[in-house]
Amino acid sequence: MAIDDLTLVKRSRDGDQTAFKLLVERYQRKVYSVALGMVRDREEARDIAQEAFAKVYKYLDHFKGDSSFYTWLYRITVNICIDFLRRHRSHKGEHVELDETQAMDSAEANIGALGSKLGTNPQKSLLRKELAAKIEEALQEVPEKHRAILLLREIEGMSYDDLARTLDIPKGTVMSRLFHARAKVQKVLSNYLELDESKSGIGSE
Amino acid sequence: MLLNPVCRTFISKLSPFIDGELRAAERVQVESHLAGCADCTRLVAGLRAESALIRDGLELLAADADLRDFSASVMARIAPARPPLFERWGVSLRELFTYRRGMMVSLAGAAAAMLVFASVLLRSGTPDGYASATMAVQAVSTDPEAHVAPVVMSGEKGNAIIWLVSHKHVIEDTEPGQGNQVEDVGKEARPDQGKTKMNQDRPRGGEL
Repeated sequence: MAIDDLTLVKRSRDGDQTAFKLLVERYQRKVYSVALGMVRDREEARDIAQEAFAKVYKYLDHFKGDSSFYTWLYRITVNICIDFLRRHRSHKGEHVELDETQAMDSAEANIGALGSKLGTNPQKSLLRKELAAKIEEALQEVPEKHRAILLLREIEGMSYDDLARTLDIPKGTVMSRLFHARAKVQKVLSNYLELDESKSGIGSE
Repeated sequence: MLLNPVCRTFISKLSPFIDGELRAAERVQVESHLAGCADCTRLVAGLRAESALIRDGLELLAADADLRDFSASVMARIAPARPPLFERWGVSLRELFTYRRGMMVSLAGAAAAMLVFASVLLRSGTPDGYASATMAVQAVSTDPEAHVAPVVMSGEKGNAIIWLVSHKHVIEDTEPGQGNQVEDVGKEARPDQGKTKMNQDRPRGGEL
């Protein structure tokens, strides 16, 4: 049976580097995925993921066992990503942050189309690689804080409670940001699918 | 797409619905609404498809990455943060000598001076050689071939200092014998210092 995170954290804190290496190996791919979804650059994502683990190790003594290790790890990862994006914003243009208080139904027009375009088995409808690239692109249209929630939800399958803890926001905010993020991604993907309908041959459900 | 007012009350719940994050009562409400509403059923299908797409797409993107040496790189990155204690001292000393050489050299000089001063202070109570309280003779022997004879000076507590005196005044001949004797005698009482004293102040037989 795998050793639980907290035990590995305690061992790492006592100087057992092998224990920390196990933690790294346990989370590296998901942390990298989150970073990649956030910054959309493989090298930067790799560097950010490594920095996140290094930072976690550095502050291991400050980790209180009252939250789970992985929420702490992802919080650090997301913060590094957001810092990175802010530093590089001038190169990529500024996103307009969505208003948190915006009524949810204003985004209603964006959702729904994807289901009819793709059906329930999207993998068969399109080349997966091409779609993956498109998703990466669509994610960039989502404001970074919303994107972080969407990534953590889809990659790590985090519960709303853990999302709230990880990002230090109320659960209601998690819910609304996630909804807006999904609506935005749907819109981008739907537009892409409509444009490509003739050549990809999909959307004939 | 415009939804009717009833659907509008449900739309914000569809995202948590597909995530399984609704309370039981709300979930039942949504399910019963979906049973009779094609529009909202389509929205739910859209959300589920998107969720699956994102999950699949991100997995695919990350799968391309070669992370075999990832953990090793992380460990290399954190290793300098907590090196063993003696290594950290070594590094900080080296850095001090590199970047603050002047200060460190004078500090090292001061420390060396303190050491010499302290050792002089400590030894002043018990001088070497004559009447040293730390000297204890265990055995005395002569080498008949060496033409030497011991001269013994006894201390009040039974300690003794022994000179080996050559009768022939031929130092070259007696030197090895003297050395051996001194070594034997001096084992208890700082052989090096004893030897130096012997060489420097080698007495001549007639004067004793």
